[in-house]
Amino acid sequence: MKIWKMFSIFSIILILLFQAGCSDSSSTGEEDGVVTLKFWDMHTDAEKAFFEELVKEYNAANEDKVKIEYTAFNQSDYSNTKLPVAFANDEGPDVFMVSPGDFTKYAESNILADLNSYFPEGAKEDFLPASIEAVTYDDKVLALPYELELLGLYYNKKMLADAGVEVPKTWDELKAAAEKLTTTDVAGLVLPTDKAAYLNFIWYPFLWQQGGNVLNEDGTKSTFNSPEVAKALDYWGSFFQDGQAPSKLQYGPWDAGNLGTGSAAMSIVGTWLIPVLEKDYADTEFGLAPIPVPEGGKPATDAGGWKMAVNANSEHVDEAAKFIMWCFAEDKSRPLKWATEVKFAYSPRISVVEEGKAIYDKGLRKVFTEEIYDSAIPEPRFGPEIVDAVGEAMQQVMFGNVSGADAAEEAHKKIEEALSK
Amino acid sequence: MRRKGMKRKLNESLTAYGFLLPNLLGLTVFVFVPMVYAFYVSLHDWNALSPKVFIGFENYKEMASDKEWWKSVNRTFIFTVIYVPLLFAGSLFFAVMLNSMKQRFVGVARTMFLLPFAITSVISAVIWMFLYDPRHGFINQFFDLLGLPKQQFLGSTDQALFAIIVVIFWINLGYNMMIFLASIKEIPLDYYEAAKIDGATGWKAFWNITFPLLRPTSIFILVVTTIGSFQVFDQIMVMTKGGPANSTMVSVLYIYKQGFEFLNMGYASALAVVLFLIIFVLSLAQLRLYTKKD
Amino acid sequence: MGKNKTILTVFIFACGLLIILPIFFLVFSSFRAPEDVFKLSLNLGNLTLDNFKAVLETNILRAIWNSLVVSVTVTVVAMLFHAMSGYALARLNFPGKKFVFGWMISTMMVPFTVIMIPLYMVTKNLGLANSYGGLIIPMIFNAYGIFLFRQFYQDFPKELEEAAYVEGLSIAGTFFRLVLPLSKPMIIPLTIGFFTANWNNYLWPLIINQKEELMVVQVALANIVGGGYETAWSIVLAAALLSAIPTFIVFFSMQKYLVDGIKMSGIK
Repeated sequence: MKIWKMFSIFSIILILLFQAGCSDSSSTGEEDGVVTLKFWDMHTDAEKAFFEELVKEYNAANEDKVKIEYTAFNQSDYSNTKLPVAFANDEGPDVFMVSPGDFTKYAESNILADLNSYFPEGAKEDFLPASIEAVTYDDKVLALPYELELLGLYYNKKMLADAGVEVPKTWDELKAAAEKLTTTDVAGLVLPTDKAAYLNFIWYPFLWQQGGNVLNEDGTKSTFNSPEVAKALDYWGSFFQDGQAPSKLQYGPWDAGNLGTGSAAMSIVGTWLIPVLEKDYADTEFGLAPIPVPEGGKPATDAGGWKMAVNANSEHVDEAAKFIMWCFAEDKSRPLKWATEVKFAYSPRISVVEEGKAIYDKGLRKVFTEEIYDSAIPEPRFGPEIVDAVGEAMQQVMFGNVSGADAAEEAHKKIEEALSK
Repeated sequence: MRRKGMKRKLNESLTAYGFLLPNLLGLTVFVFVPMVYAFYVSLHDWNALSPKVFIGFENYKEMASDKEWWKSVNRTFIFTVIYVPLLFAGSLFFAVMLNSMKQRFVGVARTMFLLPFAITSVISAVIWMFLYDPRHGFINQFFDLLGLPKQQFLGSTDQALFAIIVVIFWINLGYNMMIFLASIKEIPLDYYEAAKIDGATGWKAFWNITFPLLRPTSIFILVVTTIGSFQVFDQIMVMTKGGPANSTMVSVLYIYKQGFEFLNMGYASALAVVLFLIIFVLSLAQLRLYTKKD
Repeated sequence: MGKNKTILTVFIFACGLLIILPIFFLVFSSFRAPEDVFKLSLNLGNLTLDNFKAVLETNILRAIWNSLVVSVTVTVVAMLFHAMSGYALARLNFPGKKFVFGWMISTMMVPFTVIMIPLYMVTKNLGLANSYGGLIIPMIFNAYGIFLFRQFYQDFPKELEEAAYVEGLSIAGTFFRLVLPLSKPMIIPLTIGFFTANWNNYLWPLIINQKEELMVVQVALANIVGGGYETAWSIVLAAALLSAIPTFIVFFSMQKYLVDGIKMSGIK
């Protein structure tokens, strides 16, 4: 019977406890003339700390006017749980991060506020035209780009030297190198395996190098049944079929762990990897090269990156827009710190890249700056159905024994259907 | 038999509803109302961002020709047909075994079987991804030792679903075994003693006494496991995200994809309504089948 | 006979060891340096406590406390409510019994992701968002416990109740004084189940709570996993192990009550 006594005492304490918890003061909107803004983010670690700092600084400088409440979430929860649930209940954050994959859906639903009039004098011209174009919808600028993440081929110098492999420059060389470097312990080439926007992101360069694309110029028709698509799919798939790219990974495909722990000889990853490799895997020598091109192809890489956006349904669009402009469109120091100290990426602002010239030429960064930067194409902002169709085609070729042409044809139909909706 | 007057009957009904009241209220507010709302949403085109547009039964019509959806339903059935009997037989088997082992070790043994249940699904998925790793994984190294060829497991369209079943079985075996064991312990010992005199021991005693007397628990485990097998989500999300090449895309995952990745909330709700009906019919059939005799 | 039992015991322990092998890996890896996590060497020389130190630097202890409050409250209240309902459905006669039972069971059949948005709306409108109430109350109501109690009470010896009625106890009195205390054999496993399920609950706390100080352990764990450019699996596994300790404690402390489940011999 003792257990019952314990239970009842425990439960009384706890009921008291949650009574206290229930009396919640929900604090949104205005209080004593101070506007409170919700700012949601998906960054972690140092990047999260950077935004926390920014918010603190901004709150201090605008003490009696604006108070920003910053919250960061795990990335997959952020996009697929927190934001939909919040927007469905009309309580979306005032300021939030938006990925290229979500951009179109949000733009179509009029969730994103037009930022055009909030750019400080002359600031918009400082942004690379392509980066502004990537966030323009119906002549409205619906998000603020703050980084360009480029992709390159990272490799373990020692492993390549030991195997007598030259740094691959063409598709055939990459394939041969991956074959030679694959052992029971080491994967020749690490590529993403699971279906996600990231899978497509890494694959697009192989398509673009041949002049292929998912959609036509104005984004109204699918061009996915082209021979370029089939070729890029088959080439990509061959790494998995021949066992040179592992079918499952211990670390995320974007994670430094694959190269760092020595379980991979080569991997196609983005600019963000450089500081991590320098900091945590300084003992191993890594090299970097542009993504190899096919016979007669031209170099290409993605310029990815999240954007900052303002909720169009917010009661305080003005204040929110002013805040994001303050973050990345005004003073050069903040975007420079973000792109060079906190992480490594390119700022979409010409003056910022200019300012950070010394850093952009440091170590492996030089390869990005001199050999890769010019071939960058902004990451497409296709809706999730198209992303899924492309991803499914890749998966079919990688694991389903389907030919590139057949998989492309299937995806082509799905894309056409998605476009006609 | 006790005589039941009108008053007694009324009293009994009132007490019953009094006992049921908290749950009737809670389930109505926190489950039933949201369910009805989900049905309401299923009649709309809604992306969670802009206002809902009423479209009647369009979502249901669209579903009829959605090949991917029906494939996911099929996959879910395969999962259920393998997983439910496996878990049922496995947990019953070990419950009986534990009941007849040296009793002073039962506690330790039960805890061993139960431990996987304590690990969060995400973490158990991470552990198993390591064990299943095609290159360095424990299982493949073991296979290597035995001279067996290395397998792709989660990276193979043929094996991934089964690999996931093993994980879910691993997690839930101990708990269901414990429920069975608790019920076995409730069976009065003199039943067995009486049977012993008639010469029924071992298997015979199991079939004649244990199994029939476990019927209510068996029904519970079967129905609940069947319902649960239709809702397995976390582990698949972490281990394969429905891949490779959709080979582990079960219905709930597909609903999630439509709802929260594509933001087709209306359509996802319609899918959920249909999935609900499927589970409902199945569970009802199970309950009818097993309780018929009473 | 004795020999058979020994063989059986050895067999069960062999199976048990196989089952806890992956957990052994979890424990072992949480003591290893980040670069060694996924390596299969039995080198015990490089074990470290650094991972646990790193975990303790996060707000995990506060989160463990929150989870404790939520899980214990849900479990205690749920046991009482579910036992009451299960008893009513198994032993009492009242109009609409079949319907009520069917309706309750049907509430188990909706995938949580589908009712997530409306459930959030309901809970928010009740003023429970960002509070313990919001974390606790919606999680109490679950037909699983009702169903199991109903099945359990179906085979409960009738003679006990009959005797109580003769003594002049009311139905409610019989239940609370006589039946409920004898329900321990089912309450204990269910307690383990409810506590664990709520301890491991992730999606609901993630949605309903925004407040840092009310963060539960699984959300804190997910924040440690992160999704950044470098996943420190050793730290994640250490955090996972640490966060599973309360569940282990519940398992072990309940063992005692499980073992001496009452044998109602003599009653037919």
